[in-house]
This record gives sequence, C-alpha cells and structure tokens, in this order.
Amino acid sequence: MKTKLKEWYHDFIRFPKYILLHPFDGYEEFKRYKKAKLKVAVVFITLFAFFRIFSFQYTGFLINPNNPLDLNSLNEIFSVVLLVFLFTVGNWSVTTLMEGKGSYKEILMVTGYALFPLVIIGFPSVILSNFLTLEEMAFYSLMMLIAYILTGWMLFMGILNIHQYGLFKTILAFIATIVSMSVMMFLGLLFFDLIQQFIAFVVSIYEELSLRY
Amino acid sequence: MIKLITLATILLTAPFYSIASTSYNYSYYGEAIHSAPGMTFAAYINAQTLGATLQSPEDLVVYDDHIYVVDSNVDSLLVIDADFQLVHEFTSFPLSAEYIAAQGIETPVDLTLDGPLGIDVTDSGIFITDPGHYRVVKLNHDYEVVATFGTPDDDTFDPDPEDGEEEGINYEPSKITVDPTDRMYVVAKNAYEGILEINSDGSFNRFTGVNPIVLTPFEIFSRSLMTEDQLAQLQLYLPTEYTNVQIDSRNFIYATSRVSENNAENPIQLINPKGVDVIKKNGYFPPMGDVQYIVGMNNYVIDGPSDLVDIASTDHGIYTVLDQKRSRLFTYDSEGNLLYINGDEGNQSDKFTEGVAIGYFGDDLLILDRGTKTIVVYRLTEFGSYVNRAIAYHAEGRFDDAAEMWEEVIQINTNYEIAYNGIGKLLLRQERFREAMEYFQLGHDQYYYSKAYKEYRNEILKDNFGLIVGAIVVIGSGAIGLKIRNVYKRGGSILYED
Repeated sequence: MKTKLKEWYHDFIRFPKYILLHPFDGYEEFKRYKKAKLKVAVVFITLFAFFRIFSFQYTGFLINPNNPLDLNSLNEIFSVVLLVFLFTVGNWSVTTLMEGKGSYKEILMVTGYALFPLVIIGFPSVILSNFLTLEEMAFYSLMMLIAYILTGWMLFMGILNIHQYGLFKTILAFIATIVSMSVMMFLGLLFFDLIQQFIAFVVSIYEELSLRY
Repeated sequence: MIKLITLATILLTAPFYSIASTSYNYSYYGEAIHSAPGMTFAAYINAQTLGATLQSPEDLVVYDDHIYVVDSNVDSLLVIDADFQLVHEFTSFPLSAEYIAAQGIETPVDLTLDGPLGIDVTDSGIFITDPGHYRVVKLNHDYEVVATFGTPDDDTFDPDPEDGEEEGINYEPSKITVDPTDRMYVVAKNAYEGILEINSDGSFNRFTGVNPIVLTPFEIFSRSLMTEDQLAQLQLYLPTEYTNVQIDSRNFIYATSRVSENNAENPIQLINPKGVDVIKKNGYFPPMGDVQYIVGMNNYVIDGPSDLVDIASTDHGIYTVLDQKRSRLFTYDSEGNLLYINGDEGNQSDKFTEGVAIGYFGDDLLILDRGTKTIVVYRLTEFGSYVNRAIAYHAEGRFDDAAEMWEEVIQINTNYEIAYNGIGKLLLRQERFREAMEYFQLGHDQYYYSKAYKEYRNEILKDNFGLIVGAIVVIGSGAIGLKIRNVYKRGGSILYED
C-alpha cells in the first residue's frame, strides 16, 4: 500500500513538478527514459474537464457571472475532449511534416502533463475565491493567471523537447498547429452541414413516398 | 386518461394565455421573467371627451395641474385641467403689447404656428417650437406672444431658409426644454452636434451633450490607408441624434437619443450643466429599454433595440422612458435599476400604438399617442407604489421604512431581485451580516455582498481567534515534533550537526 501510494505520488505530483521546474531534464526523462505515463495524462485531462465544470458552478459568488442553469457538463467535457483532440491531431500532422521526433502518444502525454499546473493551482484557487472579498479577488485572478502561464510554458517546452526543435521552429509549429486546427474545424463544420442536408433530403423523399403510397 | 390529462392541462394553462397584458422584467441573467405590473390603465382623454380637435398630437407637458398639448396638424395648443376637461384651445395667439413695441409692428396680426412639435411650460411662460417658421415662440401665461427666437447664429444652420440659398441645414426645432433662468435647450432636426443651448434673449450659446464618435484602432488604421474618394464612399459616422429632452429640478437634462451602431447601450443620458453625461448605470443592465430583442431577421417580428422617444422624470430621480417601437414604458430609479415595464401595443383604450410623449402628472403617467390621438393615463398599482415609496424612503434615509416597503414588494413579486438588495442594505446597517449576505446573493449585488461578507468574516475571525491561533500552534509544533522524532528514530540528534 505504502509503495503504491509513493508511486502514485511520484507519478502524479513529483514527476510533473520536476518537468515544470526542470523542463529540459524533465522532458529528457519523459521521452528517452519513458518515465511519462499515458494514464497520468488522461487523468489530468479528465481533471481539467472536471475543473471547468467545477469552476462554472463553484467559483465565488462575487466573480461568478455564470447562470447556474446554463451549466451543461456534457458540453464542457465535450469541448475539452474536442480541444485536446484538435490540438494533438493538428500538432501531430504539422510536426510530422516538420521533421518532429515526437510520436502521437507523446504529444498527447505532453498535452496532459501540461495541464498539471492548471489542475493543481486551479482547484484551490476556485475554493479560495469563495472566501475573498471583492477587493481581494486580485489574488484569485493572479493565481489563475499564473496557472495559465505555467500551463502554456509546460506545453511549449514539451513540444519543443519531444520534437527536438529549436525556439523559432517551435513557435512556427504552434502557429501551424493553430492553422491546422482551424482547418479541421472548418472541414468538420462543412461535413456536418452537408450530412445534415443530405439526411434532410433523404428524409423528405421518404416522407413524400410514404405519404403518396 | 390521456384525454383527461390534456383537458386538465388546457384548463389550467388557459387563464395565463387570456391575460391581456403580461408584465415582465429582466432578471440578473437577462431573462425576461414575469413581474407584477407597476402601472395600470386608469383613464383616457381623447377628442371626444375633450370636445376638441386632435389630429396629430405631438408633445405634452404638465405644469401647475394643467396639461398642455400641441397638435402639428391643426397647429393648435390645448390646455387641459386636472379633471381632464378642456380649458383652452388655441390656433392663433395675439401679440402682447411689449412684443409689438419691441418689434415696432404697426398692424399686429395674430401669430399662428406651423406644425409645432414640442412644448415646455415654466413660470415665465410657454415655449413652443415652430419648425414650419424656423423659430421658437414664447407665450406668457395669458397666451400672448412675448418673443420669437429664430435661427441661431451658428454655421450649421442656414441663416435665411426662405431665400433659396443652401448655406447649411434649415433650423427646424422639434423638442424643447427650458431651465428656470429661461435658457432653452432645443433639439433640432438633422443637427448632430448635440442639443442647442439658447440664452433667454435668443442668442445661441453652444451645443451641449455632444457624443464624440470613438473609432477603434483598426478603423483609424484602415481609414489612414484610404484615399479621399474611398473615404467619401464610406458610411458617415454620425453622432447621436437626440429625440427628446426634459430638464429636472436640479437643472440636469434627461435626454433620449436614437440607437445607432456606435451607441447601442447609451440611448438615455443625464446631462449635467457642464454638458457631461452623468447617468448612473448600476443596474443589472444599462438603461436602454428592452435588453433582449431579436436582431434583424425577417419582416414578421419587430426587431432591433428599443426606440426611445420621450423621457419623464419624477421624484427621487425615478424616470420613465417611452419606447415607440413596441409601445412600452420602462421605469428606472436614479441608480439605473429597471423598476417596472408597462404598456402594450393595441387599439383598445388602455393601449397605445404610436406613443410620442409622456409626462408625469403627480404620480400618474400620461402617454400621448399620435396613432389613436389619445392621452392614456396610467396609474401606479399597489406594487408600483410600494416600489416608488421604498425608493423614496431610501432617498430620505428612512431605511427601516424602505425595507418594510421592499418586504411588501416581495410579498407581491418574489422574483423582484432589487427588493432583496433593499432589505439587505438595512440588514447590513443593523450588522446582521449573515442575513444581509443571503439577501444580497438573492439580489445579485456583488458590491454590497462583498461588504457584508468582509464584516461577517471579521466577526468569525474575532470570535474564534483563540481557536485559530491554537490550531496553528498545535499543527506547527506537531509538525516540528514529528520531524524531531524522525531524526531521533534514525539515530541522529538535533542538538548538533554531524
């Protein structure tokens, strides 16, 4: 039990923290020594989806503009999954062309691990926001800002390291990833629209026939 | 069985549909929710009840228990008393002796109007805009002409509209309001510079309440790249066109303006004597009439934001605006909270189709309808009077009474969110912070909630100070103790380094 707990602590807290503070060494171990685990990444992504639902409902009354009736957990989960999917697929397709050394699994794991600061800082600060006055809300905003910056930092360093890119190539890869994400979104919407029209067409023919005969 | 349920459902829901006018208000989240009506129909005045001709009434003003109405078709001025009976009906006005003397007129001819659009009455006289003659006419209280004020001396206006030369736009004053020193504030057609401020002797002073156009950085950048020809083809960025003005007892001007693309949330202004808009927008939404509306979709529904054409203010900074587009009245308090929404479009006598002017007659609200040529009188309901009294008590500093009124309001309308804030403020004053917080949460008032919460938190910290310090000491010493124990367990010592 104790070793299991220790292992768990190492996987979920110590190793992500080590990557955060020593990005080059950390991602070296991440990639070369295969210290990263997919289950950790999946757990962090799940926690991030949960965090979005949690913060929608439980951010302090003073800074929560959300109508609780608008909360749709499935929607939140879906948007996180979609975002992660788009980013990983987009990044993979771009970096494959740009001689990136990372595999799809590694990109997915980097994305998951990068959410570590957001999860670890986000939950406490949302809870904290319930105990602050309006003037003290700056602390909450600061904490969330730090969380987002650290997440961005981890993601950036992760992509840089697993693909073994330089600084400018990483920036270029990110821009290309965003472009490819929007292309995928566009194609997806186009596809759904066309399918919808096609189905409507078939349905109307069926109705016409069934009403006639 | 299903039939029975259906029947029951129809029977249960039917009464709700049959209510002629459903009253609503906006919740904090912008949903239109049911509300008790704040005002309701009390009486109507039309040509038949008056025994006068009304063809196109344009403006209405209340002064000293009398209602003054101008009609732009008959070119008449009607004076109606407090019992809604006609006192006078004028189509021409004799010249006063001093006016004849001042102008040096030898054969005095009675003055007539041509399409009057606005009127205001003060202690010093009656002011009527006369756009057909490009002037403002001032009468004394004996309905004799005292003065006429022609085109102001400004480059915007054509100094002599009759001579055929195009030297500017024609001066066509539409709405007018006058301050106690006889300074006139005039809204003129097509004058985008703002409200004209005209001195009591008729000389032009300045434009006031000007809305500067703000371009976004992108617009400035793209404009800097364009040629002169391209710029000329662009749509003109025109500042707000005012629709109506009314001065209040503190010499602040309430003004309504047409909604435009760069002025979507600022159709109501309160212009201070310096010419700056000082209206408060502390409500859930800025005062703008309807918050939710359909954006240009088809020809079957009325779309777009409210088209505010008149504003009337009453005691304690409560003001009402008239939306001509949907025939609705929105009443706000001085903080900008939407108090109640009234009015309904229709041809029945309690409704109106084309409201042009409103005015407070005591606590009653008069709505002048050009469409049905009627003045509709709305009176406060029980609910509305409780709301108004609560605001009045609050303004007078009688917070207990105000809270009592808000309690009554909640009895009638539980969804009335601002009432909870009113009660919360009293609880905060009584240092019942926990309860105050609950009320502010119901009323979505973050500012006061924060204040109440701060005090509440201090209270808890004070009460449990010993406990908190004790807990910190115990946990801290426990942690240190554990560490020491671990050191000794491993065979070390804390007394000296090894």
